[in-house]
Amino acid sequence: MVILLSQAVATGNCWPDRYTQIVVVMAQLWIETCWLIPVYGLVGAIASLPWSMGWIRLTGPRPAVYINILMTLVALAHGGLIFQGIWNQGGQEIAFTWFEAADFKLNLAFELSVINLGAVELIAGLSLLAQVFALGYLEKDWSLARFFSMMGFFEAAMSGVIMSSSLLLTYSLLEMLTLSTYLLVGFWYAQPLVVTAARDAFLTKRIGDTLLLMGVVALSALAGSLNFNDLYEWVKTEDLSPLLATLLGLALIAGPIGKCAQFPLHLWLDEAMEGPNPASILRNSVVVTCGAYVLIRLQPIVVLSPVALATLAVVGSITALGASLVALAQIDLKRTLSYSTSAYLGLVFIAVGTEWPGVALMILLTHAITKALLFMSVGSIILTTNCQDVTELGGLGPKMPATTLAYSVGALGMVGLFPLGCFWGYRLGIDFLWVDHPELVAIFLIVNLLTALNLTRVFRLVFLGEAQPKTRRAPEVAWPLALPMVTLTVFTLLVPLVMQKLYLLPPWTYVNKSALVCLILSGVIGVGIGATIPLSKALIRSMSRPVRLLQDLLAYDFYTERLYRVTVVRLVRALAIASDWFDRYVVDGLVNSVGFASLLGGESLKYSISGQSQGYLFTIVVGVSLLGLLMTWTMW
Amino acid sequence: MLSALIIIPLLGALLLGLWPGGWQGGRARQFAAIVQGVSLVWVVIVGCQFDIHVPGMQFVESFAWVEPLGLDYQLGVDGLALPLLFINSLLGLISVWASPARILRPRLYFALMLVISGAVAGAFVAQNLLLFFIFYELELIPLYLLIAIWGGTRRAYAATKFLIYTAVSGILILGSFLGVVWLGGGSSFNYDPTLTASIDLLPQLILLGALLVGFGIKIPLFPFHTWLPDAHVEASTPVSVLLAGVLLKLGTYGLVRFGLQLLPDAWEVLSPWLAGWAVVSVLYGSLAAIAQTDMKKMVAYSSIGHMGYILLAAAAATPLSVLGTVMQMVSHGLISGLLFLLVGLVYSKTGTRDMTVLRGLLNPERGLPVVGTLMILGVMASGGIPGMVGFVSELVVFRGSIVVFPVQTLLSMIGTALTAVYFLLLVNRVFFGRLAITLPTDVIQPDLILPPVSWAERWPSIVLAVVIVALGIQPSWLSRWSETASLTWRSPTVTVAQAVPDSLCEAFATPTCLP
Repeated sequence: MVILLSQAVATGNCWPDRYTQIVVVMAQLWIETCWLIPVYGLVGAIASLPWSMGWIRLTGPRPAVYINILMTLVALAHGGLIFQGIWNQGGQEIAFTWFEAADFKLNLAFELSVINLGAVELIAGLSLLAQVFALGYLEKDWSLARFFSMMGFFEAAMSGVIMSSSLLLTYSLLEMLTLSTYLLVGFWYAQPLVVTAARDAFLTKRIGDTLLLMGVVALSALAGSLNFNDLYEWVKTEDLSPLLATLLGLALIAGPIGKCAQFPLHLWLDEAMEGPNPASILRNSVVVTCGAYVLIRLQPIVVLSPVALATLAVVGSITALGASLVALAQIDLKRTLSYSTSAYLGLVFIAVGTEWPGVALMILLTHAITKALLFMSVGSIILTTNCQDVTELGGLGPKMPATTLAYSVGALGMVGLFPLGCFWGYRLGIDFLWVDHPELVAIFLIVNLLTALNLTRVFRLVFLGEAQPKTRRAPEVAWPLALPMVTLTVFTLLVPLVMQKLYLLPPWTYVNKSALVCLILSGVIGVGIGATIPLSKALIRSMSRPVRLLQDLLAYDFYTERLYRVTVVRLVRALAIASDWFDRYVVDGLVNSVGFASLLGGESLKYSISGQSQGYLFTIVVGVSLLGLLMTWTMW
Repeated sequence: MLSALIIIPLLGALLLGLWPGGWQGGRARQFAAIVQGVSLVWVVIVGCQFDIHVPGMQFVESFAWVEPLGLDYQLGVDGLALPLLFINSLLGLISVWASPARILRPRLYFALMLVISGAVAGAFVAQNLLLFFIFYELELIPLYLLIAIWGGTRRAYAATKFLIYTAVSGILILGSFLGVVWLGGGSSFNYDPTLTASIDLLPQLILLGALLVGFGIKIPLFPFHTWLPDAHVEASTPVSVLLAGVLLKLGTYGLVRFGLQLLPDAWEVLSPWLAGWAVVSVLYGSLAAIAQTDMKKMVAYSSIGHMGYILLAAAAATPLSVLGTVMQMVSHGLISGLLFLLVGLVYSKTGTRDMTVLRGLLNPERGLPVVGTLMILGVMASGGIPGMVGFVSELVVFRGSIVVFPVQTLLSMIGTALTAVYFLLLVNRVFFGRLAITLPTDVIQPDLILPPVSWAERWPSIVLAVVIVALGIQPSWLSRWSETASLTWRSPTVTVAQAVPDSLCEAFATPTCLP
C-alpha cells in the first residue's frame, strides 16, 4: 500500500493528477482496512478493561468513556471515508481465510456496498449519540466503565454483522450480539427483574440461534461454502427436496425471528427494558435492524422454500398486529415503545416474506432513527423524574421543552406523516403490496393507526395534563443528554433531505394516490382516537369487566410468558428432573445395589465361619460332589 | 524424544518422594511445577520438530522389552496424540499451580500428580497395545489415592467407585486387546491397524463391543457415567482439573485410536448405533446437568454431554469429524479445566458450592468479580459462543458429522442450547443478584465480605482463559497438527462422505434414521 502510494506520488505529472491518484489510492487503503471498523469498537472495549475491572481507580471511570467515544468517532470517520470511496468506485468484497480443513473452508468476508456502509454509518452515528447520552444518563453509576466496554463490544458486533458477507461470520457476530445483549441487559445484575430479563434475553435468542446454527451447518454441508455470493449461486442450480428446503428455510429464519423479537420469540425485548436506557436506544433501533438485515441477506436462500417465505409473512403479520395492540395497554414508558419496535420489525418481515427487500431496508432505516430519538426522549424523562410509569407522569410539556420536542418529532416520524421518515417506508410498502396482497396493506395501515393512537396516548399522559408529584419539579436535562437528543431531533427532521441526496426517494410520477390517502387517513384516525379516548390516571385499569379482561390480556402480552412456562420451560424442567431421578435411582441405584449385594453376601457368609472342622469338611464334600455331578452330567 | 515426556515426570516424582529431608509444601509445589514446566517445554520442542505433513507416526522409539509376551517398548506420536500431549502437560502444570501450598503430606501429593502426568503421556504415545494398557492402569492408582486422601467427606465411596469402574474398564480393554492380537495372529502387541483385517466380522464386533464399554466407562458415556459426578464432587479442585481435562481424554483417545482405527469394519457396522448412543449421552448429560444444584456436579454432567459430541464425530468417521474429535478433546479439556478451577475458587472462598444458597458473587467490592467475569467467559465458551475454542471445535464436529448422520447431529446440536440453559442458570443464580450465602429470606442479613482472591490464585484460570480465547480466534493453531493425520488415514465411511448431499436428502426424505 505504501509502495502504491509512493508510486502514485512519483508517477503523477502535475499536481492535480497526482492529487487524484493519491485520493484513489487512499480510498483503496481505507477500503482494504475495512475490517478495522469492528475492531475499533473491540479495541475500545478491551482498552477500558482496567477501569471496568477496577484496577485503575485513581482517575475514576471517565477515561474509559472517552476512549470508547473516541473509538466510535474513529469508526465513524473511517466508515465515512470508505463510503466515499465506494460511492465513487462501486462495491467491493474483501475476504480472509480463517479456517481450512479437508473440504471445509471458512472465510471471513466483508462486503462493502453503499447500503452496507450506510448502515454501518448509521450504527456508528447512533452509537456515538447513545454513548454521549450514556455519559449523562449513567454519570453516577459506579460501573460506568463496564457499561462502556460492553457498548464497544456491542458496536463492534453490530458493524461486523452488517458488513459481513459470509454466513459463518454473520452467525458468529449474531452470537456476540446475543452475548452482549445478555451482559447489557444484566448490567444492573443485583436486581431480581434484571436477572430474569437477562436470562430470558439470552435463552430466547439462543433458541433462534441454535436453529440458525443447524441451518448454517446443513447449508455448509450442502453448498460447500458459506459466502453469501457462493450461496446465491448455489441456490440457482440446486434442486433440493421440498422437505429439506422447507426445514432449511425455517432454520435460517429462526435466528432473525429471535433477534428481531418476533412472535413467538418476542418476549425478551419487553423484559430487556429493565436494562439501562442508553443500551435500549441501540437495542430498539439498530440491534433489531442487524437481525433484520441478516434476514434480508438470507432472503435469496430462503426463497428456496415457499413455506418459509409464507411463514415470514405470517409471523410478521401476527407480530405487527399483536405487538401494536399490546403496546396500547402498557403503562411502562419504555415498554409502550418497545412493543412498537416488534411491530415495525413485523412489517419488515412481511416485506421480506413478500420478497420486497427494498421496502424492508427503507422501513429499517427510517424506523431506526426515529425510534432512537423516541428512546432518548424517554431516557431524559426517566432520568429527570426517576419514574417510568406513565400513570405517575404528566404535565412535562412546558417543563421539558427539548424533550417534548424530541418526542413529538420522533412520534411524527414514526407514523406515516409526510414528509418525515417512516412515511416513505410505509408508502413504498403499500405501493408494492397494493395489487397482490391487499390484506397485508391492511396490516400496514392498521399498524400505522395503532402506532399513532399509542403515541398520542403516551404523549397525552406524559406531557399534557396536570403535573404529578413526580413531575412537579422536573427541569430540562443537562447537556450530555440534551446534546445528542437535539442533534438527533434535527437529524430526524433532515432525514427526507438526506434520502433525497442519496437518491432513495421515489419520483412523484409513480404515486398511487388512493394508497397515499389511505395511509394519511389511517394516521389521522389513529391520532384522532388517541386524542379523544378518555385517559384517567387513577382508573387506568377499567372498571367494566369485559374491557378489563381485554386490557389485562394485552397488558400481559396475551399471556405469552405463561405460554412459555407451560410449554418449553415445563418440558425442559420435567425432562431434567426425570433424567436426574433416573440417574440417581436407576443407573446409580443399580450400580450401588450390585455393590451392596456383594457386601451383604460377604457379611452374611461370614457367619458360616463356625470354627468347627466338621462343618468345613461337610461344605467341601457337598461342594465337590455338586461339582462332580455337574461335570459328569452328560454321562448319565 | 518421547521417552523424556514419560521419564521427566516419573523421575521428578521419584526425586520428590524419596529425597531426604523434610520439604515444606511450598517447596514441593515449586519443584513439581518446575518438572511440569520442563515437560511442557519439552512438548513444545517436540511440536516444533513435528512435521505436520507426515501422516504416520513420528519420533518412533522401539526396542524389545518382554519379547515372549509381545510387549515391546514402542513409542510414537502423530497428529492425533500431539495436541493431547500438550494439554496433558499444560493442565498438569495448571493443576500443580492451583494446588494450595499448605496441603496435607505435600510430597506424596505432588509426586502422585507427577506420576499421573507421566502415565498419561505414556498412554498417549504408546504404540504397543500392552504398553498402552500398562500406562492406562498406571494412572489409576495415583488418582485413586488423590481422591481417597485429599478428597471431600464421601471420598472413600467416590474413590472406590472410581477404582472399581476403571478397573472393569481396564479388564475389558485388556481382553479386547488380547482378542485382537490372538485372533489376528499377530506375534507381538505392537499397534498395527492391518492386524484385524483377517478377523471375521462377528468376533470383531464382540471385540469392539468390549472396547466400547471399556472406553465408554472412562469417557464416560451414559449409562456408565455415574462414577464421574461422585469422583468430581469429592476430588479436590486440581484433581478435578486433571480428571476432566486429561484423564477422560484417555477414553476418547482410545476410542478413536483403538476402536475406529483398529477395528474399522466393525466400527462401520456399529456406527449408526454409536451416533444414536452419542445423542442419548449428549441429551441425557445436559438434561441431568440442568437439575443439579451443586456447581461441581453441574460441570461434571456437562462433561458427559460434551464428551458425547466426540462419540458422534468418531461414529461419523469423516476426515473432518475425526479432526473434530481432536479439537473437541482439547477444547473440552481447556474449558472444563477452567470451570473446575473457578468452581474451586468459589468453594474455597465461600465454603459451599450449593447453587441454592450462593447469590450475587459478582459484587465488585465484597464478592468475587474477577472469578465471576472468568466464569461468564468459561460458560460462554462451553456453550459454544464464537470467538472461543468451544465454538469452532463443535462446528467442526457437527459439520463433519452431519453428512453421515444428519438427524443425530441435529439432535446433538440441541445439546448446545441446553448447555446454555444450565450454565446460564448457574451464572444467574450464583453470580447475579444481591451478595449472600443463605437461602433466600426476607430477613435482612448483615453485609457479607468474602476473603479477597489473590493474583496467585487467579493466574491459572487467566492463563486457561487466554488459551481458550486465542485458540478460538486462531483455530488453525489447534487444527494444523492433526489435519494431515486425520485427513489421510483410511476412513471406513469415506465413500458415504463423498456423496454428501444425497445422504442428507435421503435422511430427510425418510422421516428418521435413528437406530
